[in-house]
Amino acid sequence: MAESQVDVEIINRMQELVDKTIQRSVKGVQFLSSGKAKVGQTPKDLVYDRGTLRLYHYHPRSDEIYRIPMILVMATTNKGYVFDLLPGQSLVEYLLDRGFDVFMIDWEPPMQSERGLGLSDYTNDFIPSCIEKVQEITGEDDVNMVSYCMGGVLSLIYSATHPNGPLKNLVCMTTPVNWHEMGLFSVWSDERFLDVDKLVDTLGVVPADFIERSFEMLRPAQKTAGRLRVWNEMWNDEFVKSYRAFERWGNETLPLAGEYYRETTRELMWENKLYKGELMVDGVNVNLANITHPIMHAIAEHDHIAPFNATKPLLEMVGSQDKKELVLKGGHVSLIAGPNAVRRLWPNINDWLSVRSV
Amino acid sequence: MAENTPPDPAAMFNNWVTQWERAVDKFSNEFMGTDEFSKSMNQMQNLQLEFQRAFGEIMARQLASFNMPSREDVLQLSEDVRELDRRLARIETTLRKLLPEGSNEGAPRKSPPRTRKPPKAADKE
Repeated sequence: MAESQVDVEIINRMQELVDKTIQRSVKGVQFLSSGKAKVGQTPKDLVYDRGTLRLYHYHPRSDEIYRIPMILVMATTNKGYVFDLLPGQSLVEYLLDRGFDVFMIDWEPPMQSERGLGLSDYTNDFIPSCIEKVQEITGEDDVNMVSYCMGGVLSLIYSATHPNGPLKNLVCMTTPVNWHEMGLFSVWSDERFLDVDKLVDTLGVVPADFIERSFEMLRPAQKTAGRLRVWNEMWNDEFVKSYRAFERWGNETLPLAGEYYRETTRELMWENKLYKGELMVDGVNVNLANITHPIMHAIAEHDHIAPFNATKPLLEMVGSQDKKELVLKGGHVSLIAGPNAVRRLWPNINDWLSVRSV
Repeated sequence: MAENTPPDPAAMFNNWVTQWERAVDKFSNEFMGTDEFSKSMNQMQNLQLEFQRAFGEIMARQLASFNMPSREDVLQLSEDVRELDRRLARIETTLRKLLPEGSNEGAPRKSPPRTRKPPKAADKE
């Protein structure tokens, strides 16, 4: 009896295997012939743009919204649509549905004429200008920020140097503060070997493929493994759709303004000045202890870009009493986007910010 | 009973890919995490930059002698076009705001009231 059950199961499994093989072939042709994945589809208005800077305002999706508007601050190395990848896999959509008024600071590739942009341009000009615009549009003085990776570093510098500013609550996601713990990035940018001046002075704007190559070298097998997995799952439309959106995002890395790259390398990577409390921006000391507003930090346990030990010390350094650390399973990207983020991180952002947004 | 369950080839394949990925990444990270690798990589990069700078200068001179634009010139043109595009967009926005009353186009989006309260279950920590 048991043997015949196994036989039936084997026949069913064989049938399933044949079905999937046929579907894989049919859908594989569609996959190869299809264009770029459609991303960032949630309706929005471009409300402010200047050079590399873009400020978007997403159309509210509920009848009643929280008083304090929220600004998503994207990392300078990648496009902000990772927050709005696909319908059903969009942090923006998730937050709009829960009554937040969502803005996003996003970046376009800096032009050669913007090669001189440095940390002070981002933290003393771009972020304050966007906040002013948000205040003008919403009529509210207060703002909340949700910042990712280097966007988190910029938000921290802004907050520490504008202690009585309009920022009321800050959520950082995978934000490195101890740059001597940046793993392979620390080794590759060792000041004994990396001639950052030659790089910046020759190129002006550090090209996207240089940045992308650095990310890829951290996990050299990731791309090939991803392609093998998608081939295996080719019959699964949802998997393929998600893969294509992530692949597009990964391939659309942004170049970096030369001065910004030089400062990040010298001041953060080499001298670790943010961690030591010695970073100066426009002559003002960046002391994270000056940050006293509520802050939440989400850290990924297996982050290969901003490793755990680089991100972990943040909350010990700020002066806030109201602070929460969230250590979640996952990597640098899966923490903020994709099926795991929908279950793990997003509800935490909603719970923590909703009570602080009235 | 579990021993009698036939193997799932798709799951086995995924498992194999994961193992392979981990092994390659571990090996590569060990190899690329050394001073020697960093030194060689940066030396190569410096050479490439030197070559790029020298070649760029020669090309720029050659192109100028043929009365043709260099890459720098083309990039500058592209930046100028982008800036013009942006100015046009700003003019369009301003014009929309000047449209006569009653026209929906250009009217600012009406924001919902900012009176939402959080669900009671989510107590402040």
